[in-house]
Amino acid sequence: MAINNRSRRLTALGLAAVVLLSSLSVRMWFMQAVQAKDNELVVLAVRTRTIRLLPERGRIFDAKGRVVADNKRILTVTIDREVLKDPIDRLEMFQRLSGPLVMPIEMLFKRYEDKRFGPLEALPLKEDVSEETALFLAERIEDYPGIYVREEWKRNYPFGAIGSHVVGYIGAILPKTLAYYKSIGYDPNERVGGYGVEQSYEPILRGTPGYVRYEVNAQGKLLRLIERVEPIVGNDLHLSIDMGLQQFAEQALETQLVLRRRVEAGNVRLPDGTLDPLFPDAVYYKAPAGSVVVMNHDTGQVIAMASYPRFDNRWFTGGVSSNKFAQVFPQTDDPDLSVLVNRAISGRYNLGSSFKPFVAYAALNTGQLPGNAAYVFDDRGTYKLESIPSDRCQQGVKCVFRNAVCRATGSPCRFGNVTVEDALAVSSDAFFYKIGEQILTERGYKPILEEQVRLFGFGSPTNIDLPNEFAGTIPSKALKKRMADIGAISQESGKAYYVGDQVLFSIGQGLLSATPLQVAAAYGVLGNGGKLFTPHVVQQVLAPGTPDKTPGVADLTLSSVVERFDAQEPVSTVDMTGDRLAPIVRGMARVITGPGVNFDYYHKTTGELLFKGYPYDVLPIAGKTGTAQGFGNLPWNDSSAFGAFSLDPLQPYSAFAYLEKSGYGSQAAAPVVKCIFTALAQRYKLDGVIAADPLNIQSGIAAPPSYLRNPSCLAGGRSDSRD
Amino acid sequence: MSLQTLKRKFGQPTNSGAFGFSGSYADPIRNIDWILIAVVALQSIIGLFNVFSTTHLRLLDQEFDPYFYTQRQAGYIIAAAAAAAIVMALGHEWFRTQVGALYGGLMLLLVLVLVYGAVRGGARLSFNVPIVSFSLQPAEFVKPVILILIASYFSEASDTKIDWHHFVMSLYIVGAPVALILIQPDLGSATVIVAGVVGILLVAGARRRYLLMITGLSIATMGTVMVNGFIGTYQLRRLVSWLNQDSRDKALESVVLQVRFAKRAVSTGGFFGKGYLDGPLTNGKYIPVQFTDFPFSAIAEQFGMLGGGVVIALFAVMLWRVWRIAQMARDRFSFYMTCGIFTLMTFTIFQNIGMTLGLTPVSGLPLPFISYGGSHMLAMGIMVGLVQSVHMRRLE
Repeated sequence: MAINNRSRRLTALGLAAVVLLSSLSVRMWFMQAVQAKDNELVVLAVRTRTIRLLPERGRIFDAKGRVVADNKRILTVTIDREVLKDPIDRLEMFQRLSGPLVMPIEMLFKRYEDKRFGPLEALPLKEDVSEETALFLAERIEDYPGIYVREEWKRNYPFGAIGSHVVGYIGAILPKTLAYYKSIGYDPNERVGGYGVEQSYEPILRGTPGYVRYEVNAQGKLLRLIERVEPIVGNDLHLSIDMGLQQFAEQALETQLVLRRRVEAGNVRLPDGTLDPLFPDAVYYKAPAGSVVVMNHDTGQVIAMASYPRFDNRWFTGGVSSNKFAQVFPQTDDPDLSVLVNRAISGRYNLGSSFKPFVAYAALNTGQLPGNAAYVFDDRGTYKLESIPSDRCQQGVKCVFRNAVCRATGSPCRFGNVTVEDALAVSSDAFFYKIGEQILTERGYKPILEEQVRLFGFGSPTNIDLPNEFAGTIPSKALKKRMADIGAISQESGKAYYVGDQVLFSIGQGLLSATPLQVAAAYGVLGNGGKLFTPHVVQQVLAPGTPDKTPGVADLTLSSVVERFDAQEPVSTVDMTGDRLAPIVRGMARVITGPGVNFDYYHKTTGELLFKGYPYDVLPIAGKTGTAQGFGNLPWNDSSAFGAFSLDPLQPYSAFAYLEKSGYGSQAAAPVVKCIFTALAQRYKLDGVIAADPLNIQSGIAAPPSYLRNPSCLAGGRSDSRD
Repeated sequence: MSLQTLKRKFGQPTNSGAFGFSGSYADPIRNIDWILIAVVALQSIIGLFNVFSTTHLRLLDQEFDPYFYTQRQAGYIIAAAAAAAIVMALGHEWFRTQVGALYGGLMLLLVLVLVYGAVRGGARLSFNVPIVSFSLQPAEFVKPVILILIASYFSEASDTKIDWHHFVMSLYIVGAPVALILIQPDLGSATVIVAGVVGILLVAGARRRYLLMITGLSIATMGTVMVNGFIGTYQLRRLVSWLNQDSRDKALESVVLQVRFAKRAVSTGGFFGKGYLDGPLTNGKYIPVQFTDFPFSAIAEQFGMLGGGVVIALFAVMLWRVWRIAQMARDRFSFYMTCGIFTLMTFTIFQNIGMTLGLTPVSGLPLPFISYGGSHMLAMGIMVGLVQSVHMRRLE
């Protein structure tokens, strides 16, 4: 035998073996080193069943401990998806389940295909089944393999519509936020806060879900419990909202709006005093909507925040059909009708004269008025712009701006010699026209007024702990350009910022807009002597487990605080040294108490008559009316604004009310604020806060009406001044 | 060191010692390859533990003794060791003399098994031997016998080249049992036998065209039986699933899932593995017939790359020892036979681990010494005995 040949062939054989074994090793290495991670995840999912244990959501208490949101234990029937894998088994199972669950088969199939329910988790078939149904299924587990009845929590809002804009509701995760919630570990079919503090404190309220994980074999049979992680109950929220005052504010607001709808707005008259033939008929105020904010201006805590129209947040947990839901909350482009808007933080409102205190501050702070508080201006009812040459005025540029019309004379009011204090008391427009013009023209057309009012928080969000806050707008060149770009104003008028814009700005009209909350906070700055706070509706985050003192009322003395917002530092301070604040406060106090000014005859201040019966000695306040001109400057489009703050440092309240299309400031909003302060002064016996009736799903209205038991606080003499 | 040198050094063997063994260094008893034995023993022990890990939960499920298969496997190991010892004592030359009878007997068994064999998985592969309830699988024993026969046949050829006549004769010798095995059908055993024969043809100096011919013939045969539906669609499915390992086809599902979970088991083992008896996929019984067909997936899941590497390394050492024995074989018969066994083992190992890793199509081949199975353990014991015998008697 040729040894060489033999060894050569043997070597070939050996090499082949080496190659084969090496390829096995390489392949194994590749699988275990490179593919291991991916496979680990797949295998984990395949060989385990995870049953989520949802935590009980944190409760929400009002300022006095009343439970405004809690949870009811419900039973949910789920089914293991493995059981439904085969279409024939699925149909058969659904046919058998349809009876006990009282659910049409089509609905069950719809559930099965619903993308919201994760493919690796048990499919929830029906929520809130009765104990009997659960027991029925549990006893027949052999007939219904894969069925599991789990405990869940259903959100319950004992007070229904009261404060629902603040409390909010929970609902399904919306498609646009799905990615976000997934990224922070939520399950797509979880329910999350969709409004109010339920939304803004979502992760805090939610707690941490637990789970039970079983190992299963290829047939889906449970082999052993791998781990059980108990859910952690969510934290409770202690609101600064007092449901007593909240209910009262909502009642006052709704009562006043309804009353205003019975009032005829003035007619439109041509310059010669005759009726405008275009509008021959009397028009009633529409008074569709409004909002009230009451806050503690020493802490920034919001005590009441009402927005009308209201809604009952139990609609969102009531399990109503989508048709019914669309009937209750119609999709509408009419801003007057939209229900799911918290106007206190989202309303974009002109403020009218209620903005004047801040213009006054701007003038005093920048030394715009020679002699400051002592400066006297002769108000003859009109103000002609000094910065525009007369020849241009004759070419049609608007140069002359008028005061509001006085009913007594039928022509623009004339107030004679007024100081800044007087100007606020009687709401002299001309005085503020002058400030507006000259603070711009005499200072090199710099945005001084804008900078000054920004000190009070205008033009930027207050950062309150509620979602969907509107930041407000301040007239400026940039704003006009932006508005022209989005088509809100014409390109022509968006080109530049004119003196005319600034003059309107100085009396709270034009492109100025703010939310009621912003104004309340800004009035608070006047009330507390210069401190601007971030408003809060939540004063404390509490650890779970606060016991109830009586059913429905938590014993807050036994709670443990996780985080508190009720003793915060101001975000900024406004310089109120020297004689900056006093003339403003004096002028605003005179709005409430008088006196007005004497020129031609005695001009009452805008609130003098109304507040006659107000217990000023118990709770002294200062305030300011405002009438925001609406579309076409038609009388029935006037919106009513009134803000006030307490002058008693021991009762540090500020309030602002805004009633859309309801008339002059002193007619609609001021009475509401008067009611609020009457109540704060303990001169009105508030209704008890009682649990709402069960939600009537037949009714189809978002919230039942709620009126003042005794509307006398709304009564009082009205000023005829459109200021 | 050549044979001549050794003989000169230690003198001619004398037959004067106890049991007929002499004190010579060429004495067979003094020339046992202990490394080969150690490696094989180690693999068998690993196999035993693996059988337990893959079967105890399945048995518990059926409310059986969890040690049932493990005990039986231990018995098979002892039986295999005994078989190896007997073969070693008798010597491979003895088998050469008896190969005709063995071949004939096995052919008879192969025919009988087609008629009386127990049906398992759609195939008649084995007899149930009553008393010990042992299932005898004749195809396993065909492996060593065919290799002996072919090695013997080729070693008688005068030339170093296999001539046409010998080649065609070998085709008849191999073809008859292989055809019967294909009918069973046991495609895996058939291919492994052909692989071993090809190994012998290679070292015996077959012309390249013969090798091509036998390869072509095998493929053609396989193709024919598959297309004819002779072996049933089951084998075809295994092949198709191998080509589409991610297939979602319902018809392929059982095979695809089996391989997919085997691969996942290997993959998730990572470097150190999940630990003995802690393999989730093994414990979850995700891989059908894991203890016979996919034992490597259980090893890799429980002991990771380390354990899998050790097993492959032990196989490498084993094959190296066999290869080395082939190199030292004193005559052509021993050489051919050892090479045949080497090829057969290499192919079996590659095929079995390869199908676990998705490299090769699924077939019912056991992993030598590791898979559960009596016939396969006995056949392996016989083959190791034959190789040992070659080593022991290389100096005689």
